[in-house]
Amino acid sequence: MVNMMLNGIQQAGVHEWEVPVGYVPDMRVSGRLFLSETLGKTLEEGAARQLANVATLPGIIGHSFGMPDIHWGYGFPIGGVAAFSESEGIISPGGVGFDINCGVRLITTPLTLHDLDDRHTIIDKLYKKIPTGVGSKGTLRFQGSKLDELLSRGSSYVIGEGLGLPDDALLCEENGCMKEAKPELVSEKARTRGIPQCGTLGSGNHFLELQVVSSIQDQKTAQAFGITEGTICCMIHCGSRGLGHQVCTDHIRTMEKVSQKYGIRLPDRQLACAPLTSREGQDYFGAMAAAANYAWANRQIITHELRLLFEGAFGIDYKEMPLVYDVAHNIAKWEMHTVSGEEQRVCVHRKGATRAFGPGRKELPQKYRETGQPVMIPGSMGTASYLLAGTETAMQKTFGSTCHGAGRVSSRKAARNALSGNEVAADLKQKGIIVMAPSGDAIAEEAPSMYKPSDEVVRVVRETGISRVIATLMPLGVIKG
Amino acid sequence: MSFEELEHTADVRIRIRAESYEELFTLASDALFGILYSGDCRPILEKTIQVTGENREELLWEFLSELLFISEVEFFVVCETRVRFTGNGLEATIRGEIFDQERHGGGREVKGISYSGLFIRKTDTMICSEIIFDI
Repeated sequence: MVNMMLNGIQQAGVHEWEVPVGYVPDMRVSGRLFLSETLGKTLEEGAARQLANVATLPGIIGHSFGMPDIHWGYGFPIGGVAAFSESEGIISPGGVGFDINCGVRLITTPLTLHDLDDRHTIIDKLYKKIPTGVGSKGTLRFQGSKLDELLSRGSSYVIGEGLGLPDDALLCEENGCMKEAKPELVSEKARTRGIPQCGTLGSGNHFLELQVVSSIQDQKTAQAFGITEGTICCMIHCGSRGLGHQVCTDHIRTMEKVSQKYGIRLPDRQLACAPLTSREGQDYFGAMAAAANYAWANRQIITHELRLLFEGAFGIDYKEMPLVYDVAHNIAKWEMHTVSGEEQRVCVHRKGATRAFGPGRKELPQKYRETGQPVMIPGSMGTASYLLAGTETAMQKTFGSTCHGAGRVSSRKAARNALSGNEVAADLKQKGIIVMAPSGDAIAEEAPSMYKPSDEVVRVVRETGISRVIATLMPLGVIKG
Repeated sequence: MSFEELEHTADVRIRIRAESYEELFTLASDALFGILYSGDCRPILEKTIQVTGENREELLWEFLSELLFISEVEFFVVCETRVRFTGNGLEATIRGEIFDQERHGGGREVKGISYSGLFIRKTDTMICSEIIFDI
C-alpha cells in the first residue's frame, strides 16, 4: 500500500478507501472514503475519526461515506453522507449543519463573453443589488402568514408571488419544497432572524458568480441541460440564513439532552441525535424541512433580482435565463434506495455533499430522467466550476451522492495571516476575474490556495463513476459577503 | 486577561483566559463582536439582557447565542459588556450602537455557537475557555 493514508485505513479500490470497523470502538458499519493519492495527503485525522464516529450511530445502513472534499466539521465531517433505517435510525442536526439547505443553483443566459467586455460594471451592479455580508437586509418582507406559506411551500410560494418562472420550482431538488415542513415548529427567534434576511447571500463561502462555459465534456447531456459552450451562466451559492442557523441552534441543545434518554451512546457529544421515530427527531425534521424551504425561496428571490438586472443591463428577456438546476448541500431527507436487493425508505444525511441521482429516478424532472440529474460543483474563488450528472453507480455506491465543492485545507486564520485580500483580488483581476466583497479578509479567507483543488475532487468522482463530467465553467466575476 | 484565535479548518475557534467568570463572559462577548464587525464602535446605546443556564458552560452558550440573536435582529454592534451573575443566570449590560455598513461592515457572519465545542476549565490561577463559532 502506498504510504499516503492515515494508519488503519485500507485501500478498497481505485480512489476508494475502507475505514474498518474497529477504527473507533462500537462502529456498526465500516467507513468508505473516496480519495486520490493527492487528496489522501490532505485528509485530517479528525475528519477520518468523525467519519468513523458516524458509523457508530444506531440504524446506519451500508457505510459512513466521505466524499473527496471531506474535512473536519461539527460532529459529522463536511463531505459526509450517511443513510439511516426508518425504524432503527436517528436524525442528527450535526449531520445537516448550521446552514440548513445551503445549496447551489445554476442559471443560463444567451449572453457570450463579448457581451461582458465591461465586466466590472455588471459585477458592480450585482454587488449593489444583491445584499451581501454581515448586517445586510433584503428588500422583501415575508412575515406572519406569508412567512408560514413560504416555510410550507418554499420555491413555489415565491414564484407564485411573481418572483420566478413557472418551471423554476420543478428544476430544484425536491421541487424546491420539502412536504414534511412544519412551520409551527420554527421558533419565534428563528423567524425574527429570517424575516429581514430573505433574498440575501450572507458571508463566508457564499457567493454569486458569473461564469463562462469554457468547455463541454458531454455534448448530448449538455444539450439536455441547456448548456452551450461560450455562453454566460450565473452560479448562486447560499442557504437558509439566520432562520436556518437558529433552527439548528434551537434543536441541537434539545438533542444533546435526549440522546441519553433513548439509550444512544455517543462517541462525541457533537453527534447528538434522536431516533427518527421519536417526537424530538420528528420535531427537528419538521423544522429543518421548513428551513430548507426558506433556503429554496431565498435562492429563488436572488435569481429573480439577477434576471431583472440582466433584463435591464443587456436587453434580454427574463425567460431567456432559465434555471438549470438547484441542489442542496446540507440536508436530511427521506429517499427510496435499494438496500440488500430491496427497496427501502431511508433517511439520508448529506452534509457538504450533493444528491447525484442517476437516470430513471422519478424524483427528477422529465427532461433529466434520461441523463441523470445535474450537479453543480463550485470551484474555489477564481478556479473552475463543474457541471456534472448523477449516475447509476452513485445510486449503487453512495445512496446517490457525490461531492459538493473544493473543501477547505487551511483555516481562515492561516489565510488572513498568509495573504492580503487586496493582493488576492489583484491577482484574480490579472486573470480577468473581478471580485467584490465587503472586506479584504473576506477575500483572503476564500483564496483558492486555502481550498483543495476542485479539478482533483472532480477527477475522483468521475473516475469512481459516482458522477459524469458534462461541462467546465470558468469564473468571470464574483460577489461575496 | 486575553483571548486568542486557534487553528480550525472551517470555523473560528477562540481560547479565552480570564481571572474571573465575569471577565471570561465579557471577553467572550468581545470575541464574538470582533468576528462579526470591524472598525470602531461607540457605546451610545445600552441594553440589558438576562439568560439562564444549568451550568457555566450552558450559561455561556445561552449568553453568546442571545448576543448573536440581538445583534442580528436589532443590528446592534456591542463594544462594552458588563456581566453580573444571579442565581442560575446572569444579567448583562451591553453598550454599543446600530450597525453602519461604512464603519462596521466587512466582518464575518457567525451562524451559531457550537454547543459541544465549548468548555470552561478553572485552574488555580485562571479560568480558561474554548469556544467554536460556526462561520
